[in-house]
Amino acid sequence: MSLEIQSLGPWLFLACGILGTLLVSVVRPSTKRPAQISALLTLLGTAILAVRGLGSDSLVAMSGTFEISQLTHGFLAAVCGLGILFILGTGHYLTRERIHLSDYYHLLLVLILGASILVASKHLVVTFIALEVMSLAAYTLAGFRRNDSRSNEAAIKYFILGGAMAAVYLLGVSFVFGATGSMQLGAIYEWSKSSSSGHDLFRFGHLMLVLSFLFKVAAAPLHFWKPDVYEGAPTPVTGIMASVITSAAFLTLIRLVHLVDFGASDWVSHGDLMKGVLRVSAAASLIVGSMIMITQKNLKRMLAYSSITHSGYLLLGALGTFSPALEISSMLIYLGGYAVMSTGVFVLLTVSCAQADTGVELIDLTGLMKRAPFLTLLWIVFLLSMAGMPFTVGFFTKYFVFIASLGSNEVGLVILAAICTVVGAYAYLRPIALMTMRDAAPGASDWRPTLGSQMVVVTAAAAVLVLGIAPNPVIHFLKGISLIH
Amino acid sequence: METTHSLSFFLTLPLFGMVLALLVPKGVQRIYSIFASILFFALTLYEASGILFAGSARLAESLVVEHHLAWLPEIGVRLSLRLDSISAWFVLLNSLVAVIAFSAKGVWYRKYPRLFSALGFFLVFALNAAFMSTDLVVFYLAYEAVFIPMILMVGIWGENQKATAVFRFFLMSFLGSIMMLVSIFYLISIQMKSASGVSPHVADLATTVKGLQGSEAMWVFMGFFLAFAIKVPLVPFHSWLKDVYTFAPMPATIWMSAMLSKLGVIGMIRFVEPIFAGVLPQIQGLLMTLAAISVVYAAMLALKSDRPKSLLAYSSISHLGFVMLGVFTLQGQGNSSAVLLSVGHTLTSALLFFLLHKVEEGQEQLDLSSPHGLASDHPILFTSLFIAVLASVSLPGTINFAGEFLVLLHSYPVSVLCTGIAGLGVVLGAAYMLKFYQQMGFGSLSMGNSDETAKTRDLGGYELVLVFWLLAAVIFCGFQTSIFLKGN
Repeated sequence: MSLEIQSLGPWLFLACGILGTLLVSVVRPSTKRPAQISALLTLLGTAILAVRGLGSDSLVAMSGTFEISQLTHGFLAAVCGLGILFILGTGHYLTRERIHLSDYYHLLLVLILGASILVASKHLVVTFIALEVMSLAAYTLAGFRRNDSRSNEAAIKYFILGGAMAAVYLLGVSFVFGATGSMQLGAIYEWSKSSSSGHDLFRFGHLMLVLSFLFKVAAAPLHFWKPDVYEGAPTPVTGIMASVITSAAFLTLIRLVHLVDFGASDWVSHGDLMKGVLRVSAAASLIVGSMIMITQKNLKRMLAYSSITHSGYLLLGALGTFSPALEISSMLIYLGGYAVMSTGVFVLLTVSCAQADTGVELIDLTGLMKRAPFLTLLWIVFLLSMAGMPFTVGFFTKYFVFIASLGSNEVGLVILAAICTVVGAYAYLRPIALMTMRDAAPGASDWRPTLGSQMVVVTAAAAVLVLGIAPNPVIHFLKGISLIH
Repeated sequence: METTHSLSFFLTLPLFGMVLALLVPKGVQRIYSIFASILFFALTLYEASGILFAGSARLAESLVVEHHLAWLPEIGVRLSLRLDSISAWFVLLNSLVAVIAFSAKGVWYRKYPRLFSALGFFLVFALNAAFMSTDLVVFYLAYEAVFIPMILMVGIWGENQKATAVFRFFLMSFLGSIMMLVSIFYLISIQMKSASGVSPHVADLATTVKGLQGSEAMWVFMGFFLAFAIKVPLVPFHSWLKDVYTFAPMPATIWMSAMLSKLGVIGMIRFVEPIFAGVLPQIQGLLMTLAAISVVYAAMLALKSDRPKSLLAYSSISHLGFVMLGVFTLQGQGNSSAVLLSVGHTLTSALLFFLLHKVEEGQEQLDLSSPHGLASDHPILFTSLFIAVLASVSLPGTINFAGEFLVLLHSYPVSVLCTGIAGLGVVLGAAYMLKFYQQMGFGSLSMGNSDETAKTRDLGGYELVLVFWLLAAVIFCGFQTSIFLKGN
């Protein structure tokens, strides 16, 4: 048992850090600085512990409910890193919006803890708890601009729809439990080897589980909440949703899809059903995301539809996990690349001093080249990367999901995705055109980067370029990571 | 093989030039870019001359340099570069066109000069990588990377309706190249299932394609064909070209017509022909017909054009139709004549656009509906333009004549009809080019224009030297075709 506690170290450290941050914010409620420092230290410590744990052997701890492996350690370290970047890069935004409160920091840590447990969970109920921990923090953070009606709308919409989908998830759990008599993923997998798929109870329950997570990743047709929530939530929170929550939800989705052994002949038809669901959802996300993205005038809404498109590409990667089974490296590469890009983009968005952050309108970008050439260059790097141009990380992320899904013979879907890439490229090119081709309209908002945000954005841009030119070490590392049944 | 280091120099030097361009002060940016590109041209000529001017094909073959560098071993991608008698020409031309493009004056050295020349050097780098690569993934990366400086150049320094032009250019090219990417991925995903492992090298992909059944190979081919047909462009895929050539700043137009179109040519010769050797004969007739139609249709559009820049743009399509006709003969000799004609087209179109920019300097907007009578004011400029026009209409003694003649000679045994149709293009070519020259140079001066023509300067000094050497090259190569068509 002591070994287990030891190997849970990084997560426990993070949990203690949350308590510490909460305590600090209670003791010194009027200033936010101690909470900020405490959160940074917590994340840094957790990241260091998690990186140290990368080399250790995989095990499933806590009576088969918690996976401790390279994947979960790596994920924890990565989300802590993202958290640090967001805290360093977006302090000025919180101050400007008058929401620089210490609560923000411990909610952020709770969100990160929830996400990391979600990825590690091997038990349907633990998954639910982690999901709720993560989501409740996210609902609260989305409504953090209390005086703004859009932010309130975002929080309530997110909360109600999220709550409904949590109920769907629980419904699925109850059906699966009824059919299999277990809620441990490992035990269900063993059950599937000896049982036939004739269990309609199980099939229904499984479908509900998968649907509830398709909602979380905002894959069409379950994407309706996303644009409103993205637009209303404070920009740093939107960025965290795009990077941390998307990654955690996708990895859990893969775990839940592969609940049974699709290699066994009894489960082939059920596997086809799952593939069908993912295929339809991927196609719908790609089409809806890229088509509607073109029409958007608000940058945050545009990025919301962009992230729906990215969900589509990730679902291509998810289809690739069927053969060879559980080959998740393409998705990991995509999630990593997307997290880096969206960190850069959303931090960049926070430096726009648009009026009262109703979100930055595309028009605010006009003539940015004249006003802030360096920022324009950074914008161009991130947007080209999102469009998937070479020498940026965006190219390789697409490269791997396309190849993975072609490995599962999804030729038609890949062609569709290719066409949607062109449509998407048009949408990403529009802001670039506005920035470089026109002169600023009178009343266009100012862009004032602070030192912290500049550092973060430059780091992200450097990562985008370095990973686009020499991705080999990272690919090598990520290819070594696998999911455990 | 001891000179393997020399290949990476073709890539690293332009990148170095790019970094330097960002550091050099704005005032001397033009001088810096011209000097750096001339230096690069000289070095390229020195490195490539062995292969280019070798007396026989066997000797040239022995000088071929290959360079392999593990870049992304995880996915089997190697930085495989090859300098042979085909790529050496394109690499050399690339460095030469950079000199011409940087020499063309224009808005660019008044507005963000550093960025412009940095983008220019990046373009040279990407083009060199595309011309030399034998690894399909590396080729694709370079091929796509060419877009980035190109769209930014047109977007930032272009004029009038540049936004529409840029979007049309980008979206059509991107659609083509992404279809090629799907084809590449499809081949790779087949390789992944086989025992031999993934390798996007040309030779290995050819083996993979041989293993495909039925119409599969044809569909995969279509992806590649679409990409290159849009890039060249062949006629049904040419609609992006006119606007972007017209509204781009002059250096970008020079780059696009002289070098970017050659990406499609080298893609066809380097990748499509060896990889799809089994498929191509089945649709050769269709391909040659497309090429022949391109020649004539674009020539007719050129006749109808009302602006000099769009006339030259269409003439470019027409000449590239000839090049593709040579490529689609699917024979070694047809390919060498296509390369010869490509060299000719690069030289003449770069020259024509360069001279046109001199003519247009200080003018409001020239159209071809009325005569301008500019020749009497600028005798040297118009004499040079006349020689360039003659080269463009393939007067015997110029490289274009040799190229078009040989292409027609080699396409004749394959398809008499296509050769006949394409032959019409030669006649039409003379018609529109002479109309162009007549309207620009002759006739009485229109009223109110005299003040503006005074602003235009005749060729002089450095520009004269540059133009002289280009014209000399056009004529020299016209007589020395043996350096392109080596016997054993």
